[in-house]
Amino acid sequence: MNELLKPVYLEEKLEEIRADGHQDYRSRSLPTWCPGCGYFSMAEGFTLALKKLGRSAEEVVVVSGIGCASRFPFFVNTYGFHTLHGRTLPVATGVKQANDALTVVAVGGDGDAFAIGGGHIPHAARRNVDITYLVFDNGIYGLTKGQTSPTSVLGFRTSTSPYENGDEPLNPLMMLLAYRASWVGQAYAGHPHHLADMIAEAIAHRGFSYLHILSPCVTFDKTTRTYRNLNMQVRDLPSGYDRTDLAAAMGEAMKVDHPALGVFYEESRPTLADVMDETARKAGLSPVPAGGE
Amino acid sequence: MTESLHYVVIGSGSAGHGAATTIRARDPGARITMITMSRLPFYNRYDLPKMFKGVTDWRDLLAEDPKIYDELGITLRRNSRVVDIDGRARTIALAHNEVIAYDKLLVCTGGGPNVPAILEDYRPLMHGFGTFEQASATVAALPPGGQVVILGGDMIGLDIAFNLLEAGYRVSLAVGEQTFWPHRVEPDERAVLLKSLAKTGLDLIEDRSVVAIEAADRPARRVHFDDGSMVETDIVMPFFGILPIVDFMLGAGIDMERGVLVDPALKSSNDAIWAAGDVCQIWSDVDRDYRFYHGWKNVRVMGELAARNMTGAEETFDTADESVIEVDGNGCIRSTFWEH
Amino acid sequence: MNGTDVQFAICGSAGDGTIAAGDILKRTMALMGYKVIAFDIYPAEIRGFGKCISRVRVTTEQAYSLKHQSDVLMSLNDAHAIPHVGEVRDFGAVIYDNAPIARLPEGGHVSAHIRPMQLPYGVSFRSISDRATGNARGRNIVALGYLAGLYGMPAEAFHQTIANKFATKPQAVTDANVRAFEAGYEAAIGTFKLDDVVMGSPLHRADGARAVMMTGNGAVVRGLMDAGIDCYFGYPITPATTIMERLAVEMPRRGGRMLQTEDEISAIAATIGAGYAGARSATATSGPGLALMAEMLGLGVMAEVPSVVIVSQRGGPSTGMPTKTEQSDLNMAVFGGAGDARRIVLAPTNVEGCYRCAGLAFELAEKFQTPVIVLLDLYLSNRYETVIPPKENPFEPKQATGPQGPVFRRFELTESGVSPRAVPGQAGGVHTITGLEHNELGRPSDQPDNHVAMSAKRYRKLEPATRYPGLTTIKRFGAAGKVDIGILGWGSTFGEILEAMFEAENEGISCSAMKVVMLSPLPVDELEAFFADCRVVLVPELNHEGQLATLVSGTLGRPVVRLPRATGAPMRVDEILAEVRRLAAETAAAAE
Repeated sequence: MNELLKPVYLEEKLEEIRADGHQDYRSRSLPTWCPGCGYFSMAEGFTLALKKLGRSAEEVVVVSGIGCASRFPFFVNTYGFHTLHGRTLPVATGVKQANDALTVVAVGGDGDAFAIGGGHIPHAARRNVDITYLVFDNGIYGLTKGQTSPTSVLGFRTSTSPYENGDEPLNPLMMLLAYRASWVGQAYAGHPHHLADMIAEAIAHRGFSYLHILSPCVTFDKTTRTYRNLNMQVRDLPSGYDRTDLAAAMGEAMKVDHPALGVFYEESRPTLADVMDETARKAGLSPVPAGGE
Repeated sequence: MTESLHYVVIGSGSAGHGAATTIRARDPGARITMITMSRLPFYNRYDLPKMFKGVTDWRDLLAEDPKIYDELGITLRRNSRVVDIDGRARTIALAHNEVIAYDKLLVCTGGGPNVPAILEDYRPLMHGFGTFEQASATVAALPPGGQVVILGGDMIGLDIAFNLLEAGYRVSLAVGEQTFWPHRVEPDERAVLLKSLAKTGLDLIEDRSVVAIEAADRPARRVHFDDGSMVETDIVMPFFGILPIVDFMLGAGIDMERGVLVDPALKSSNDAIWAAGDVCQIWSDVDRDYRFYHGWKNVRVMGELAARNMTGAEETFDTADESVIEVDGNGCIRSTFWEH
Repeated sequence: MNGTDVQFAICGSAGDGTIAAGDILKRTMALMGYKVIAFDIYPAEIRGFGKCISRVRVTTEQAYSLKHQSDVLMSLNDAHAIPHVGEVRDFGAVIYDNAPIARLPEGGHVSAHIRPMQLPYGVSFRSISDRATGNARGRNIVALGYLAGLYGMPAEAFHQTIANKFATKPQAVTDANVRAFEAGYEAAIGTFKLDDVVMGSPLHRADGARAVMMTGNGAVVRGLMDAGIDCYFGYPITPATTIMERLAVEMPRRGGRMLQTEDEISAIAATIGAGYAGARSATATSGPGLALMAEMLGLGVMAEVPSVVIVSQRGGPSTGMPTKTEQSDLNMAVFGGAGDARRIVLAPTNVEGCYRCAGLAFELAEKFQTPVIVLLDLYLSNRYETVIPPKENPFEPKQATGPQGPVFRRFELTESGVSPRAVPGQAGGVHTITGLEHNELGRPSDQPDNHVAMSAKRYRKLEPATRYPGLTTIKRFGAAGKVDIGILGWGSTFGEILEAMFEAENEGISCSAMKVVMLSPLPVDELEAFFADCRVVLVPELNHEGQLATLVSGTLGRPVVRLPRATGAPMRVDEILAEVRRLAAETAAAAE
């Protein structure tokens, strides 16, 4: 059955989860998202990914900010920290610094990530903190009922841009590539199985992994980022695509009218924890510098 | 409104101090700066012998409460050595590279000890008494009841010798030409005076000249004389009169001989420069020559006189020689140099 | 004060080695067994020739503050030192270079400004250094040697400090500095000492071996380290930066992790993130940074996450006066942020207190599951005091955490208000915390009864903190019982308050002083008792409006007399004393 045409009901979804045997990763709180919201596929994809990776619930910490997507920690049965608007990555960095053994997943929407939280992304990326950042981009502020976001397209009418949005939208993938995220991928809420695989791969990556997830807001966006439009726009990365080629990744990321799904870029380099260990090693070798006591 | 004049007084002894306070009294709006090598506010050098009697704190020797400098608006520049005077530009340069402009300058730097050439090499082995610091070092070097050899004499040295005797020290005096300096003494007078001196308890060393001083263990000095004799002592103090301190003025472009040559109004050959005290030689119409007028009374008179003339008066110094030394009916020496 | 009490001031421009000379002096004095309190003032500018002053007060018994007057001023740069000649007391000494290179106009040399009762000492630091070491760079050490020689301090102790200071440099550096020191020392031997400054023998010679010179910030670092800090996150800001700089050196050596974040918001966010994950984590900042952290501190209160925030205040508001001291962030520390967000705020009054408060802050944060702010100011952060480090580590290790019972209620409404806590990684403890109001399970809830109960819990749980063992939260000094004048103070100013109080006592004024270390929650019972004992309570503090005065007066509903001063400089003892005298006279008049 075409996923786009299939209505998504809560009971049915929960039944499916139970049948799949990954309900352990779901909490007793029912999601508060609107029926049909692309974010349901996030919860689904996340739990499937954890099951696939065999992570136990108590080793996992989900950190979120504020927004529809950031309600996520309440709906999964792992450790969770629903923090402040825009502060997901610094809190997640703190959690990871405290305990390397934890699997730390940061979750947020486009406003949380690129408006109020935009200043933190480059630093988490360049430090290569070994966490996964899932950004659900629906191009609108949903929780506050439909205002323009930094990824709203030009010409979009919202309650705060009643005469059409005139601000150029950000290109998150180009930003993350420029920030030297060591893993950059894109998925689509309308392709939940691919999304689940991408979440699993992002979590498995050692270093800072950024997964951009295109998602419709069925309530406040009836015109631009709809399932119908996205279904027609998304495409696969070209065959023979080299995910270690940063320039090629930039080229693909620029094609915003036809977003590609898949892993844009991947590299292996020392994580923040590696740097910390190396610092400790160097400190142990150097004489105690005087002063400061 | 005319700009206030800047009076600079070099020297903070009796002459300088008297001059500065006189200038202030006569010109309330003037700026007054006193420059001195001394590190202390004004104290009386003539009081230094008190140190043999247990006065060790300089604060007990101060001639004036140091508050008066603030009260009178006199800037006291201590620990400052003048190295040059530019009489045309009216500036003086200090050793620490500071330049001060003046409108009227009074030089009262006084004199330093005159040490004969033969003793020059032994300066480190001799003790002075010209400043509080020197006097302190001298007192510190003297054990109780210790021995002092005074070379030369001079009226300052004799005063110190009497104080030493009073304080229970033993004093030998190697007499010479300057024993009664600055008094000019005829040979017959001299014999009488020496006899009187001998009665005071001073051990007189006569007809011998010092040729060398040697450091020793205890006592700390040996004084060798030209006849081969030697005297052991704790300290040696030279008193051969004083020489005016004028070396810093050589570039000032004013007339000098041994001291600064001034007219009876105490003005030098430069209209903006006066001199007073032991540093100046005053023209005496009687003697048709420039003469020194030593002694604390002269010095104080000169300082105040110069200050009055700098502030508009036209007075002259009384150059009649009142210098008298004699032995009185009790066999004691009386001198106009002393006033005690 | 009986025995030795000498304050040295060394003044020069950046690059003259002023602070270095002061540093060697104070460390040597501590090594000899004297008690030392010292404060350096640096220029606000990074480059150029801004003024530096190092003031070092050396005493037989530990002093509480610097003196208003110094006994000895040493000038390494006359243009900077000239305005400070006036701070030298009568019969004190001014030491300076008597052979400057540049030609000076009248009054350009420091000797021009020495008052008649002060004693001048001119030395050619430059040429002595040149002769001893081949260049003039060592003139600060020559000057130090001169100072040491003049006051008969033992040269060997200085040699040891110089060697320690340059331990990481080639031996030649130590040798050159020792030669410079010796040359200066030698010059002083030939100098006639005219001032009446006397260095007596230290009483605590045995302490010298153990005593260390520490700044408030240095003591904070020691406290954090001894309490086992796991994670630190910070962003550079004067005057807190030195904490991060030292932790950057020390933490990696002990398995801790220091991370410089992109801003203060990130710093506190990561601190709380690490606290949530079970680490002892801390950050340090100043007023502007604390303003940025306010929202996250609210989250810490709401989500009940332990965290420690060191705040060193400076002149405000806004960027204010970054290199000047002020106590104007009390309101923000105690109340800042959204909602009813009580947290613990500690304000140590001296360097030793900085050590205890920093270490105990971790214990308090864990025990009461809350952010703990330790409030210093620039004057306390940067001033040095002699500290005898404790023989045993006084801090408790981390508390055990873990779920209790079959259903883990992270925010269980207990009698004490403190709930069981689990950290990520612990089986059976899985839960989500949030900045939303929540129920006992941590699920979002905006039910009225729940909000009332949870707010009460968050306040109730902190009450026992005022009686936390091992922590002085409030303390009275001087006369017990009824007095005319009570002086209430906090933070760095309390040193000046004590000095003023003892002086007033000597003058026969009936008075006593009380310091408030825990500003939130306030130790109300002790404050009530103090107010009941005092006819008048005076509150001197370094801000414009009297923030402690408002806090205490408002909390107790009692009047106070304010003495707020915000000049950027530490409080003056004589100013407090004048106010105490005035109040004492008023009180006496009223009694008649």
